[in-house]
Amino acid sequence: MSSEKSGVHKLLAEGPKAINLGLEEFAEALATQGVKVVHVDWSPPPPEAQELSDLLDKLL
Amino acid sequence: MFRVCLVHKRRYFDSMFLMQVSQRLRGEPGIGEAAVLMGTPANVRILKDLGFSGPELDTAGPDDLVVAVAGESEALVRQALAKLEEWLVSGRAAVPGAPKTLVQALSQLPEANIAVISLPGWHAGREAKIALEHGLNVFLFSSNVPLEEEIALKRLAQEKGLLVMGPDCGTAIIAGVGLGFANAVRRGPVGLIAASGTGAQEFTSLIHRAGSGISHAIGTGSRDFSDAVGGLTALSALAALTEDPATEVIVFLTKPPGAETLARLISQVKRSKKPVVACFLGVIPEKVRREWPGKLVTTVDEAVAAALELLGLPKPPFLAYDPSELAELAADEGKKLSPRQRFVRGIFSGGTFCYQAQLLFHNARVPFRSNVPLLEEYALLNPLSSEGHTLLDMGDEFFTQGRLHPMIDPTLRRERILAEAKDPEVAVLLLDFVLGYNASPDPVGDLLPALRTAQEEARKRGEEILVVASVCGTEADLQGYAHQVDQLEDVGALVFPTQAQAVQFVLALVRGRR
Repeated sequence: MSSEKSGVHKLLAEGPKAINLGLEEFAEALATQGVKVVHVDWSPPPPEAQELSDLLDKLL
Repeated sequence: MFRVCLVHKRRYFDSMFLMQVSQRLRGEPGIGEAAVLMGTPANVRILKDLGFSGPELDTAGPDDLVVAVAGESEALVRQALAKLEEWLVSGRAAVPGAPKTLVQALSQLPEANIAVISLPGWHAGREAKIALEHGLNVFLFSSNVPLEEEIALKRLAQEKGLLVMGPDCGTAIIAGVGLGFANAVRRGPVGLIAASGTGAQEFTSLIHRAGSGISHAIGTGSRDFSDAVGGLTALSALAALTEDPATEVIVFLTKPPGAETLARLISQVKRSKKPVVACFLGVIPEKVRREWPGKLVTTVDEAVAAALELLGLPKPPFLAYDPSELAELAADEGKKLSPRQRFVRGIFSGGTFCYQAQLLFHNARVPFRSNVPLLEEYALLNPLSSEGHTLLDMGDEFFTQGRLHPMIDPTLRRERILAEAKDPEVAVLLLDFVLGYNASPDPVGDLLPALRTAQEEARKRGEEILVVASVCGTEADLQGYAHQVDQLEDVGALVFPTQAQAVQFVLALVRGRR
């Protein structure tokens, strides 16, 4: 349980270090607050990849 | 008029960028109508309503970019399209080596502890799951994530000891860092767990302005306190804040929870070593009042006062107002109105502000209409046309489809102010202004020309429209609290230190004119 709990506790204790997906402005606002942030140049996954991932979700 | 509608298969840009690009395109020579959107069913409908059609538009899917332009000639439209392509390529040009996936980003920032996700709803859940599987907490701004997916994500988070803030989470502050739409506030002993975004912004700003501070403000998303979700995030947040050494008082800020969720919260609150205040914005059944094991209040102001009291801090002057003074001020201001000016028109950008205003009107037994009614009996038939006292949430989907939120884009609020000013029965324009990260750089400045025009319009009739406002934010916000208030006062607006007080003032005015 201790390792399971550490995710939330680490976030609150250390503050956010973020990966941003979507609005780039959110990453910029974090950077201006001195937060370490990496913005993902995201694009929709190809339909086949999504189908495969959905299938895996069902199987696993 | 030459019209063109093009579909770029599987080309994604975020909505904020596309709105800016669309606006720029409309300013090009000879261009009448222009929209650059992702091809969601709602957006395709918007384009069809604008008169665009064609077989290509029918093939557009939500991952496709749709460009629709109407101009005076084919040459001018082609010229504008060429410019658009330049903007699309240069405007969101990825930094060389920028990661293309969350997993790639993790290799660049292995110490990351949170994923901030504002992708379209139909992709957001999948990425949130990947984030959780890699040990990241999630701030999920996206709305339109299916309920089943929300529940599955929150269960997974619980198993892994992580937090999912959202979906539909507008605001959080973690260890002094604002996520999404948040205000710059001091760190301090008050921990917040909030389902509502602007409610959290008002609460955290007022705590700051009262001289105290926020340890963490954890957003839950709008559905978390429903029995369908069962408060999964709220309960994890409560456990985390109970153990957090920086937090001394914990406050819940939400519409009243579902009955089963409430029972779970009560049982955990009873075990909490720290005092817990519940601010349940809504009509509270007597049973809930009886059962809640701590302080229970129904407005943001009361929640701030309760938290400060528990910390042994004095009530700040801005909360210690005298209702009789408010009534006196209302009587004075009421003298400026003509007998036919009877109605209040609340034009809000913040959902909680519209909701709280409705609650206070309801408690004062003053009937009103709203596009997001507190109770069915208050429903506004046509959101575009006010009736009697009307309290509008301009951030509701009806208004924001294909547009940016009114906290960023003032266009619709501006238009509505001008429309209301033409109605000779309107006495008061009741407005909120939300400052903070990611909001407009000058929310008051955006609406000043419209407010001046509205006042001139009324003066031409020999009347005066009262502008009653509240500003949500702090001096540490980029927009500057005092500067925003000054601009409002320069046009004669009555600015109250909290939104609840602005509404109470308006109600005093209404009562005095019955």
